[in-house]
Amino acid sequence: MFLKLENIRKEFNGKVAVDNLSLDIPKGIIFGIIGPNGAGKTTTIRMIMNIIAPDAGKVYFDGREVGDDFKDHVGYLPEERGLYKKLTLSEVMIYMAELKGAPAGQTRERIDTWLKKMDLLEYKDRKVEDLSKGMQQKLQFVTTILHDPEIIILDELFSGLDPINMELIKNVLLDLKRAGKTILFSTHVMEQAEKLCDNICMISYGKKVIDGTMSSVKAQFGKNTVQIDIEGDGAFIKDLPGVTEMTEFNNYIELHLAEGAEPSEILKTVIGRVKVNRFEVMEPSLYKIFIDMAKVDPKASQRDDGGDNV
Amino acid sequence: MSKFMVIMKREYIQVVKKKSFIIGIFLTPALMAAFMLLPAWLAQKKATSSEMMAVLDYSGTDIGERFAKALEVYKLEDSDVPYYVVKNIFNVEPGDSVRFKTLDDSLKTEINDKKLKYFLVIKPHPQLSDDSVYVVTNSDNFTSLSRFEYRLSNIISSVKLEQTDINLPVDSILKLTRRIDLQTQNTKGEAIPFQIKYFGGLIFVMIMFGMIITYGSLVMRSVIEEKNSRIMEVLVSSVSPFQLMLGKIIGLGAATFTQVAIWVLVGVGIFFASGAWNLDISSDITRLVFNPMIVVFFVLFMIVGYLLFSTIFALIGSIVNNEKEAQSFIFPITMSLILPVMVGIHIVQEPNSTLSLALSYIPFFAPTTMIMRIIFLAPTVTEYSLFSGILGESILSFIILTVATVFIIWLTAKIFRVGILMYGKRPTLPEIVKWIKY
Repeated sequence: MFLKLENIRKEFNGKVAVDNLSLDIPKGIIFGIIGPNGAGKTTTIRMIMNIIAPDAGKVYFDGREVGDDFKDHVGYLPEERGLYKKLTLSEVMIYMAELKGAPAGQTRERIDTWLKKMDLLEYKDRKVEDLSKGMQQKLQFVTTILHDPEIIILDELFSGLDPINMELIKNVLLDLKRAGKTILFSTHVMEQAEKLCDNICMISYGKKVIDGTMSSVKAQFGKNTVQIDIEGDGAFIKDLPGVTEMTEFNNYIELHLAEGAEPSEILKTVIGRVKVNRFEVMEPSLYKIFIDMAKVDPKASQRDDGGDNV
Repeated sequence: MSKFMVIMKREYIQVVKKKSFIIGIFLTPALMAAFMLLPAWLAQKKATSSEMMAVLDYSGTDIGERFAKALEVYKLEDSDVPYYVVKNIFNVEPGDSVRFKTLDDSLKTEINDKKLKYFLVIKPHPQLSDDSVYVVTNSDNFTSLSRFEYRLSNIISSVKLEQTDINLPVDSILKLTRRIDLQTQNTKGEAIPFQIKYFGGLIFVMIMFGMIITYGSLVMRSVIEEKNSRIMEVLVSSVSPFQLMLGKIIGLGAATFTQVAIWVLVGVGIFFASGAWNLDISSDITRLVFNPMIVVFFVLFMIVGYLLFSTIFALIGSIVNNEKEAQSFIFPITMSLILPVMVGIHIVQEPNSTLSLALSYIPFFAPTTMIMRIIFLAPTVTEYSLFSGILGESILSFIILTVATVFIIWLTAKIFRVGILMYGKRPTLPEIVKWIKY
């Protein structure tokens, strides 16, 4: 395994933040860590980064325990992030890469390519504070990968990004994966995780509750989900036989069916009462799995959100 | 290039290219010069009328007469009015101590009543000892005092030469013509021979204090800025917190020394050019500034003192959230640097008192206390011992300071690595103690 977490554990003031977590992250894939706020995602990532030391357990990179030399092989975007506001874009980029051991000359050659990709080339010699928030996020992302790291670790990657920039960064990540880089990220934005990840792991209360490839995770939860898009009032649907649960989204309704229930029977009933534009039997969305799994622990609703202790 | 160097270079360049750095280089010495020269200049401006003085010659020579004559060359600005009016020259036979005492007392009364500004006392055998000639005055007009010193030096040298067979080796002649160190007394008889030393001490201490506070607080500000802009976690994923801390301290320290080095070079330049410009730089200042012990210990105490205090500033930066919170911590630091200056009068008058010694061995007070003590003690010491006296004490004080600094750096490194990632609530003391153990 390229990156391996072995029974890592961390407590803060008697509260267990990460509990005996083991993960295997193979080379060249996109690996997503999902989980509710306070589940221990950031703590796990900080332990991988050797920013905080685990109380027990070890983290290995390429067969060796992570230490200071790991820092040059990784591009890390923390959840709490920022840049030097008074420096120009190119100064920030050169400095951040230099801190990763990349010589200034080498970085200078790459700056234009990356700034162009991010649509920031015209700001190259402007100060960071002149950029909009979204632009700063893109710049921050570039500084994370500028030194050409083998593994890229992104904590809450999508926070503060608009859909256009999300798409842009998603494409860059796919390019990087194609170039053989390993990407590990955490998020609670399920749609993005679903689109991007090869492998996924969900943690709740510091414990791993789901771990595997995206398709195997979905298979595990069965093909008992139906999405329908109707015109009119669909409130009656949740009382139909065989429907165990209904979630209403803005533009469509997602149904959860009982074991052995036949989707076509439901379609027949619905089509007789309202106009149906779309009816699709599908794998459960990651969102659904996420909600279901988070509900498993009854203490879930009692937990507070501010779990980002050091 | 190692990461430590990368951080150091950035912190250094950040400061050095700022306009305030360049302005500071010129403005600080200008302010200091103004601070010192202004009183003298004001005193000079006041001299619109002649200054009254008397001579009390107890030596049985004609030095008093010659001195009064020599002063006739000084005139008030743009006129023929003499600058100094020697009202009386009292010649007292050597041995007539009763008459000397009576005259001395009445002259002091006249000075206190402001009828006289100065009176010069010449005791027996003035050619043998500097202590035999002194000026009694309540004024500290440097211009006049240095004029008297210059004129008296010439007269006494001539007297010596007249009394001697000229057929002597060069060395001996130089010895005979040495400029005297004219001392002054106030009317209470207290000697104030240390004015130059006191000013010298003050300047050294102000440079040390100013530099440590200015650049030490820059270390703190730099840490707070990186915490506030949330860039800290990105940084510690690239470098170790220790590299980061030390890079900042040393980078900004290098900027400090750049500034001081520029002043020193300019100062030395002015000193060597002073001959050409006919500037009259007092021989006392020369002896002070070019005393190797003072120079070496000033540099050593400045370096280690800076390391100690800037590390504490880094520590404060790592545990607070903003500069406002930091203010309450800065006060004790300022106090520990400035306290020796506040008790400075005591230190310079009693450099070997228990208090002076105690302050020398407390690391936080040591840099400023020691530099004052060294300036006051070192120039008059003729034999140095490594284990006692001012040299031994300086070495011991320096060792204590260094050990304490290494300990503080070690302690700060432990708190720093946790503190820099803490946002929000300021940690309590028990929490900080836990970080140290952690």
